[in-house]
Amino acid sequence: MSSHRLFRFPKPAWINSANTRTAGVYAAGALFSLGFYLMIDCAVFSKSALNGSDPPVHITFVDWIPGICSALGMLVINSIDKSRLSADSFSYSGNGVAWKARLVLFLGFALLAGGLAGSVTVLVLKYVVRDYIWPTLWLGVGNVIANGLVMLSSAVLWVAQNMEDEYTYNLAL
Amino acid sequence: MAGIKTIIGLSFILAIGFLLVILSAALYKNYLTLLVVATYVVAPLPNWICGRASNPDDFMESSGSGVIDFGRFLTGFFVVMGIALPALLYHSAQIYGGAMVMSIIGGLLIYGTIISFTLFFQEEQEF
Repeated sequence: MSSHRLFRFPKPAWINSANTRTAGVYAAGALFSLGFYLMIDCAVFSKSALNGSDPPVHITFVDWIPGICSALGMLVINSIDKSRLSADSFSYSGNGVAWKARLVLFLGFALLAGGLAGSVTVLVLKYVVRDYIWPTLWLGVGNVIANGLVMLSSAVLWVAQNMEDEYTYNLAL
Repeated sequence: MAGIKTIIGLSFILAIGFLLVILSAALYKNYLTLLVVATYVVAPLPNWICGRASNPDDFMESSGSGVIDFGRFLTGFFVVMGIALPALLYHSAQIYGGAMVMSIIGGLLIYGTIISFTLFFQEEQEF
């Protein structure tokens, strides 16, 4: 395997260990929790006494749509069996399993990216354009950060699960 | 390796954790911070349930690791929830800053006790 290397620096050995992927899955859960509670924080803050916007600005359903999209996208992406992505080269897959897997995966990534883009849209159209000042602006900024964290969590989970596949593969040989 | 001193020490730490959380609730007459205790009691459960639901020795069967991963994901979710919940309540002026600090520290002590208890006494159960 080392003779097929492309880069000068070898991949460190700890990347493929089981502990690293365990830590990755835990970290993904932590990041998702952080994003989720940032979103809840925006909603609670909009109802609390600290929200001193004069014509009262509250979280409406529009603010929730990007978060729902992101969470759905994360669910779709991570419920796909990663080994099916290259399944066409094997004999056990019939009827284009890899093609379906790629289509569903594309939908998942589109949902995830759409969530992040949607949160930025809400921030700009609902808060920045109308010249709100900082404590009210947090309702939009927190939403953007929350969606970014959900995306990051999804990426970490993806990498960790791919790591596991290589680890299992090495062990099976 | 884990003798009677470990049990005594862990129970002391657990008692201090509960003391801090209850103090953070009772001192300010605001019992929202007791949610932290519920969170940290629930936190080890997903790992335990999903560990029972799958067979970790089976390497060729890839369906088992998905369940374990889901349990770990939920555990990470709950642990951060125990820190995020008091911070959220403080940020929205539902509790005071002192209550937030006390409940976070107390919750971490409680969770640390649960984790180290399972670490110390898991080995002996398996044999």
